Amino acid sequence: MKKTIILSIYFCSFSVKAQDNLLNLLSQDNEPIYITYLFKGTKVVNGQSVELPSKGVLQFTIQHRFGTLNSGFYNLYGLDNSQVRLGFDYGIKDFLAVGLGRSSTTKTIDANSKLRIKRQIKDGFPVTIVANFATYVKQWQYTDNQLDNFLFTNQLSFAHQLLIARKINRDLTLQISPTLIHYNLVETLDEPNDKFSLGLGGRYKIAKRITVNIEYFHQLNDKINNNVLSFGFDIETGGHVFQLHLSNSAAMFERAFIHETNGNWLDGDIYFGFNISRVFTLNK
Amino acid sequence: MNKLAIFLFLTLSVQVNAQRFIGKNGEINFFSETPIEDISAVNNKVSAVFDGSTNDLVFQLNIADFKFPIALMQEHFNENYLESDLHPKSKFIGRVVNIIDEQATVSGDLTIHGITNSIDVVGSFIKSKNSVLINSQFIIKLKDYNIKIPKIVMYKIAEEIEVKVNIELIKLK
Repeated sequence: MKKTIILSIYFCSFSVKAQDNLLNLLSQDNEPIYITYLFKGTKVVNGQSVELPSKGVLQFTIQHRFGTLNSGFYNLYGLDNSQVRLGFDYGIKDFLAVGLGRSSTTKTIDANSKLRIKRQIKDGFPVTIVANFATYVKQWQYTDNQLDNFLFTNQLSFAHQLLIARKINRDLTLQISPTLIHYNLVETLDEPNDKFSLGLGGRYKIAKRITVNIEYFHQLNDKINNNVLSFGFDIETGGHVFQLHLSNSAAMFERAFIHETNGNWLDGDIYFGFNISRVFTLNK
Repeated sequence: MNKLAIFLFLTLSVQVNAQRFIGKNGEINFFSETPIEDISAVNNKVSAVFDGSTNDLVFQLNIADFKFPIALMQEHFNENYLESDLHPKSKFIGRVVNIIDEQATVSGDLTIHGITNSIDVVGSFIKSKNSVLINSQFIIKLKDYNIKIPKIVMYKIAEEIEVKVNIELIKLK
């Protein structure tokens, strides 16, 4: 009896131990576990997030911004006035993406590139860091050429951003975005060509496929206009991400919504907008 | 009693030196056919160990290593279905229970998405002096592993997924 017990314990422990040992043999290599999917979209609300389209993926985004909610029933609370930005983003590599877009009202073409520098690692590097560089060209007409200060380079402005985000837990991601906007041409001598701002943003997952996003840019020098504050809802429906926004800016590129925002939340200058993005896998 | 103890120690040392076969670059792929889109993914970093003396067989893989032809599917797979942040690994702990003409029956516990089910799988099991080749194909049901499919998705996802395993294990020296 005693022997049987000893034997059975021996075999039991042995078989468990053996299989554990076998698993241990496999668990030796410790590759870093990268934290992924910090945001559902490549933008927090208006500004860029640390997400990039994957390699070989073309993302087509149609962005709509309506007029202000306080513009009255005559304008159907802003719905009569709409502006559009059409944008394409393409992932060249998993860490490098380029984008091209055009905004209707301001007749501005924007081109940007995003480069992922570091990734958040589980029990390792704490944040994901992405650099974003954008160039904006204001379109002109033939008559504009007559102006004294007309030069192609005068139509350009630039944005340089460092996007630093941390996925705190599976629901909450926070992002901080130091930003430099450079204007090649400014309106007055007093106005600086370089303007600095600090973006703060985040997302919180309220359901598996729905996140609430918030974004604020604080202008650090020579503030003329209001700071932009935006709220967004990202709803994922399989192939599409559907984003609903409320913001005190109707602009859809960094220079304009950071430094050229006239709307004031407290006065009801709130613009409703939505984005629809669809991804196409070009390169499998 | 003493004899038994000696015997146990002896066998223990023998079995520790037992012949083990290990592989780290195995392939597991899965496929499901739906009316709109076929869903497929492949993982080339599957590892496994077979112990020739006990017939123990274990598999392990990282869910995040599954590569999909469509990046968005990969995102949904990790984020919504398999929740790889909560359950990063899938493993199988089992034993070869029967081999006839290089056809083996393997039985054990398969853990996916944090849920463990016991399964029996039949496949080819070709053992030579220095290697073991394993090839198998079986079906798993998503609901057995608590993988929920929402009603509103663009592409339909099948309730049953066909899984193929292909790995070569080399004798551990």
